[in-house]
Amino acid sequence: METNGVRLTPEQARSALADTEHIRASAAALSATPWPNWFFITLTLYTAALPITYGGAMADPDWLLPGPAWMGIMLAMTAVYGALFAVAAKTWRNKTGVALRFDVLPKRATVPLAVGLPVLLVGAAFAFRVTGWPVWLFAASLISAVASVGFHLAFVRLHRKVA
Amino acid sequence: MSAESHDPLEGFDTTIHAPNRLRICALLDTAGEAEFGLVQKQLGLSASVLSKHITVLMDAGYVGQRKAVRDTRQRVWLHLTGRGRDAYRGHLAALRAIVGPSDPAL
Repeated sequence: METNGVRLTPEQARSALADTEHIRASAAALSATPWPNWFFITLTLYTAALPITYGGAMADPDWLLPGPAWMGIMLAMTAVYGALFAVAAKTWRNKTGVALRFDVLPKRATVPLAVGLPVLLVGAAFAFRVTGWPVWLFAASLISAVASVGFHLAFVRLHRKVA
Repeated sequence: MSAESHDPLEGFDTTIHAPNRLRICALLDTAGEAEFGLVQKQLGLSASVLSKHITVLMDAGYVGQRKAVRDTRQRVWLHLTGRGRDAYRGHLAALRAIVGPSDPAL
Protein backbone atom coordinates (compact mmCIF):
# COMPACT_ATOMS: atom_id res chain seq x y z
CA MET A 1 0.00 0.00 0.00
CA GLU A 2 1.28 3.42 -0.85
CA THR A 3 1.62 5.91 1.96
CA ASN A 4 0.81 9.46 1.16
CA GLY A 5 2.49 10.95 4.17
CA VAL A 6 6.07 10.10 3.21
CA ARG A 7 8.62 12.31 4.91
CA LEU A 8 12.14 12.50 3.55
CA THR A 9 15.28 14.01 4.99
CA PRO A 10 17.51 16.03 2.64
CA GLU A 11 20.06 13.23 2.90
CA GLN A 12 17.54 10.62 1.74
CA ALA A 13 16.43 12.87 -1.12
CA ARG A 14 20.08 13.44 -2.10
CA SER A 15 20.71 9.70 -2.07
CA ALA A 16 17.64 9.07 -4.28
CA LEU A 17 18.82 11.74 -6.73
CA ALA A 18 22.33 10.28 -6.82
CA ASP A 19 20.86 6.87 -7.56
CA THR A 20 18.80 8.20 -10.47
CA GLU A 21 21.88 9.99 -11.80
CA HIS A 22 23.81 6.72 -11.74
CA ILE A 23 21.02 4.95 -13.66
CA ARG A 24 20.78 7.86 -16.09
CA ALA A 25 24.51 7.66 -16.82
CA SER A 26 24.44 3.93 -17.53
CA ALA A 27 21.37 4.29 -19.78
CA ALA A 28 23.05 7.21 -21.59
CA ALA A 29 26.07 5.00 -22.26
CA LEU A 30 23.81 2.46 -23.95
CA SER A 31 22.08 5.15 -26.01
CA ALA A 32 25.49 6.39 -27.18
CA THR A 33 26.54 2.97 -28.50
CA PRO A 34 28.14 3.68 -31.91
CA TRP A 35 26.89 2.12 -35.13
CA PRO A 36 28.51 -1.15 -36.16
CA ASN A 37 31.53 -0.57 -38.41
CA TRP A 38 29.83 -1.88 -41.54
CA PHE A 39 27.09 0.72 -41.22
CA PHE A 40 29.49 3.48 -40.27
CA ILE A 41 31.36 2.78 -43.56
CA THR A 42 28.05 2.67 -45.46
CA LEU A 43 26.97 5.98 -43.96
CA THR A 44 30.30 7.63 -44.75
CA LEU A 45 30.27 6.40 -48.34
CA TYR A 46 26.69 7.56 -48.77
CA THR A 47 27.33 11.04 -47.37
CA ALA A 48 30.46 11.31 -49.53
CA ALA A 49 28.68 10.18 -52.71
CA LEU A 50 25.56 12.31 -52.26
CA PRO A 51 27.08 15.74 -53.14
CA ILE A 52 28.65 14.30 -56.30
CA THR A 53 25.50 12.57 -57.56
CA TYR A 54 23.31 15.53 -56.66
CA GLY A 55 25.75 17.88 -58.38
CA GLY A 56 25.72 15.61 -61.44
CA ALA A 57 21.92 15.61 -61.49
CA MET A 58 21.81 19.41 -61.27
CA ALA A 59 24.62 20.01 -63.82
CA ASP A 60 23.86 22.06 -66.89
CA PRO A 61 25.20 21.04 -69.39
CA ASP A 62 25.45 17.34 -68.50
CA TRP A 63 28.57 16.28 -66.62
CA LEU A 64 29.96 12.79 -67.37
CA LEU A 65 26.45 11.27 -67.43
CA PRO A 66 23.02 12.60 -68.42
CA GLY A 67 21.14 14.34 -65.59
CA PRO A 68 18.45 11.62 -65.32
CA ALA A 69 21.17 8.97 -64.96
CA TRP A 70 22.69 10.85 -62.02
CA MET A 71 19.23 11.23 -60.53
CA GLY A 72 18.61 7.50 -60.94
CA ILE A 73 21.93 6.69 -59.26
CA MET A 74 21.12 9.07 -56.40
CA LEU A 75 17.67 7.59 -55.84
CA ALA A 76 18.97 4.01 -56.08
CA MET A 77 21.76 4.59 -53.57
CA THR A 78 19.34 6.42 -51.25
CA ALA A 79 16.98 3.45 -51.40
CA VAL A 80 19.84 1.04 -50.64
CA TYR A 81 21.02 3.30 -47.83
CA GLY A 82 17.49 3.44 -46.39
CA ALA A 83 17.21 -0.35 -46.44
CA LEU A 84 20.62 -0.77 -44.78
CA PHE A 85 19.70 1.87 -42.19
CA ALA A 86 16.57 -0.10 -41.29
CA VAL A 87 18.65 -3.27 -40.86
CA ALA A 88 21.33 -1.46 -38.84
CA ALA A 89 18.75 0.26 -36.63
CA LYS A 90 17.01 -3.04 -35.88
CA THR A 91 20.31 -4.76 -35.12
CA TRP A 92 21.40 -1.84 -32.94
CA ARG A 93 18.16 -1.89 -30.95
CA ASN A 94 18.33 -5.63 -30.44
CA LYS A 95 21.95 -5.42 -29.35
CA THR A 96 21.55 -2.50 -26.94
CA GLY A 97 17.99 -3.11 -25.73
CA VAL A 98 17.16 0.59 -25.85
CA ALA A 99 15.45 2.88 -28.36
CA LEU A 100 17.45 4.57 -31.09
CA ARG A 101 17.59 8.24 -30.21
CA PHE A 102 18.79 11.19 -32.25
CA ASP A 103 19.23 13.54 -29.31
CA VAL A 104 22.18 11.82 -27.65
CA LEU A 105 24.79 14.30 -28.83
CA PRO A 106 24.49 17.92 -27.68
CA LYS A 107 22.45 20.29 -29.84
CA ARG A 108 25.49 22.51 -30.39
CA ALA A 109 26.86 19.65 -32.49
CA THR A 110 23.73 18.28 -34.15
CA VAL A 111 22.00 21.54 -35.12
CA PRO A 112 24.94 22.87 -37.20
CA LEU A 113 25.15 19.46 -38.88
CA ALA A 114 21.41 19.34 -39.62
CA VAL A 115 21.58 22.82 -41.13
CA GLY A 116 25.08 22.68 -42.59
CA LEU A 117 24.96 19.45 -44.57
CA PRO A 118 21.87 20.31 -46.65
CA VAL A 119 23.33 23.79 -47.29
CA LEU A 120 26.60 22.17 -48.31
CA LEU A 121 24.82 19.71 -50.60
CA VAL A 122 22.74 22.34 -52.38
CA GLY A 123 25.44 25.01 -52.27
CA ALA A 124 28.10 22.81 -53.84
CA ALA A 125 25.74 21.69 -56.60
CA PHE A 126 24.79 25.32 -57.27
CA ALA A 127 28.43 26.44 -57.33
CA PHE A 128 29.29 23.60 -59.69
CA ARG A 129 26.40 24.46 -61.98
CA VAL A 130 27.48 28.11 -62.12
CA THR A 131 31.23 27.63 -62.42
CA GLY A 132 31.50 24.19 -63.99
CA TRP A 133 34.27 23.26 -61.55
CA PRO A 134 33.73 19.79 -60.08
CA VAL A 135 36.11 20.67 -57.25
CA TRP A 136 33.06 22.10 -55.43
CA LEU A 137 31.46 18.67 -55.43
CA PHE A 138 34.61 16.89 -54.33
CA ALA A 139 35.16 19.41 -51.54
CA ALA A 140 31.55 18.94 -50.33
CA SER A 141 32.02 15.17 -50.55
CA LEU A 142 35.18 15.35 -48.46
CA ILE A 143 33.59 17.61 -45.84
CA SER A 144 30.57 15.28 -45.59
CA ALA A 145 32.81 12.25 -45.13
CA VAL A 146 34.85 14.05 -42.48
CA ALA A 147 31.63 15.02 -40.66
CA SER A 148 30.48 11.39 -40.70
CA VAL A 149 33.81 10.17 -39.30
CA GLY A 150 33.81 12.97 -36.72
CA PHE A 151 30.34 12.08 -35.47
CA HIS A 152 31.20 8.40 -35.28
CA LEU A 153 34.27 9.20 -33.21
CA ALA A 154 32.17 11.48 -30.99
CA PHE A 155 29.80 8.57 -30.29
CA VAL A 156 32.71 6.22 -29.58
CA ARG A 157 34.16 8.74 -27.15
CA LEU A 158 30.84 9.48 -25.46
CA HIS A 159 30.05 5.79 -25.13
CA ARG A 160 33.41 5.10 -23.48
CA LYS A 161 33.20 8.19 -21.32
CA VAL A 162 29.82 7.47 -19.77
CA ALA A 163 30.17 3.68 -19.76
CA MET B 1 -2.64 28.46 -1.42
CA SER B 2 -2.67 30.55 -4.58
CA ALA B 3 -2.33 29.02 -8.03
CA GLU B 4 0.71 31.22 -8.75
CA SER B 5 2.81 29.92 -5.87
CA HIS B 6 3.59 26.44 -7.23
CA ASP B 7 5.18 24.27 -4.58
CA PRO B 8 7.71 21.80 -6.04
CA LEU B 9 6.97 19.43 -3.17
CA GLU B 10 3.52 18.92 -4.69
CA GLY B 11 5.24 16.84 -7.37
CA PHE B 12 6.31 14.25 -4.82
CA ASP B 13 4.83 10.99 -6.06
CA THR B 14 4.56 8.05 -3.69
CA THR B 15 4.02 5.61 -6.56
CA ILE B 16 7.33 6.58 -8.14
CA HIS B 17 9.24 7.06 -4.92
CA ALA B 18 9.66 3.34 -4.13
CA PRO B 19 13.40 2.94 -4.89
CA ASN B 20 13.12 0.40 -7.70
CA ARG B 21 10.29 2.30 -9.36
CA LEU B 22 12.28 5.51 -9.25
CA ARG B 23 15.18 3.69 -10.89
CA ILE B 24 12.90 2.16 -13.53
CA CYS B 25 11.55 5.63 -14.34
CA ALA B 26 15.08 7.08 -14.47
CA LEU B 27 16.15 4.41 -16.94
CA LEU B 28 13.09 4.74 -19.16
CA ASP B 29 13.25 8.53 -19.12
CA THR B 30 16.84 8.45 -20.36
CA ALA B 31 16.57 5.54 -22.78
CA GLY B 32 13.18 6.45 -24.27
CA GLU B 33 12.25 2.79 -24.56
CA ALA B 34 13.99 -0.26 -23.11
CA GLU B 35 13.57 -4.00 -23.33
CA PHE B 36 12.31 -5.74 -20.19
CA GLY B 37 15.41 -7.96 -20.03
CA LEU B 38 17.72 -4.98 -20.25
CA VAL B 39 15.88 -3.15 -17.46
CA GLN B 40 16.14 -6.28 -15.36
CA LYS B 41 19.88 -6.56 -16.01
CA GLN B 42 20.64 -2.86 -15.51
CA LEU B 43 18.77 -2.70 -12.21
CA GLY B 44 19.77 -6.15 -10.95
CA LEU B 45 16.17 -7.24 -10.34
CA SER B 46 14.51 -10.60 -10.75
CA ALA B 47 11.87 -10.87 -13.46
CA SER B 48 9.09 -11.28 -10.91
CA VAL B 49 10.10 -8.22 -8.87
CA LEU B 50 10.47 -6.10 -11.99
CA SER B 51 7.10 -7.36 -13.24
CA LYS B 52 5.47 -6.36 -9.98
CA HIS B 53 6.84 -2.82 -10.14
CA ILE B 54 5.99 -2.47 -13.81
CA THR B 55 2.41 -3.54 -13.06
CA VAL B 56 2.12 -0.81 -10.39
CA LEU B 57 3.52 1.79 -12.81
CA MET B 58 1.25 0.61 -15.61
CA ASP B 59 -1.80 0.69 -13.34
CA ALA B 60 -0.91 4.29 -12.52
CA GLY B 61 -0.71 5.04 -16.24
CA TYR B 62 3.00 5.88 -15.99
CA VAL B 63 4.47 3.08 -18.10
CA GLY B 64 3.37 1.55 -21.37
CA GLN B 65 4.55 -1.60 -23.06
CA ARG B 66 4.99 -2.86 -26.60
CA LYS B 67 5.52 -6.44 -27.61
CA ALA B 68 7.91 -7.38 -30.41
CA VAL B 69 9.28 -10.66 -31.67
CA ARG B 70 13.05 -11.14 -31.71
CA ASP B 71 14.80 -14.40 -32.56
CA THR B 72 11.38 -16.12 -32.59
CA ARG B 73 10.80 -15.04 -28.97
CA GLN B 74 8.44 -12.35 -27.83
CA ARG B 75 10.12 -9.41 -26.07
CA VAL B 76 8.48 -6.66 -24.11
CA TRP B 77 9.62 -3.08 -24.60
CA LEU B 78 8.78 -0.55 -21.90
CA HIS B 79 8.43 3.22 -22.10
CA LEU B 80 7.27 6.09 -19.93
CA THR B 81 3.94 7.56 -20.96
CA GLY B 82 3.56 11.35 -21.16
CA ARG B 83 1.85 11.25 -17.78
CA GLY B 84 4.63 9.10 -16.37
CA ARG B 85 7.32 11.45 -17.68
CA ASP B 86 5.57 14.44 -16.11
CA ALA B 87 5.16 12.59 -12.82
CA TYR B 88 8.80 11.46 -12.80
CA ARG B 89 10.11 14.94 -13.53
CA GLY B 90 7.80 16.43 -10.94
CA HIS B 91 9.08 13.92 -8.44
CA LEU B 92 12.70 14.81 -9.24
CA ALA B 93 11.83 18.49 -8.75
CA ALA B 94 10.35 17.63 -5.36
CA LEU B 95 13.48 15.71 -4.37
CA ARG B 96 15.65 18.66 -5.42
CA ALA B 97 13.44 20.99 -3.40
CA ILE B 98 13.89 18.78 -0.35
CA VAL B 99 17.67 18.73 -0.80
CA GLY B 100 17.71 22.48 -1.20
CA PRO B 101 18.94 24.83 -3.91
CA SER B 102 22.43 25.26 -2.51
CA ASP B 103 23.49 21.64 -2.94
CA PRO B 104 26.50 21.62 -5.30
CA ALA B 105 25.64 18.14 -6.60
CA LEU B 106 22.36 19.33 -8.17
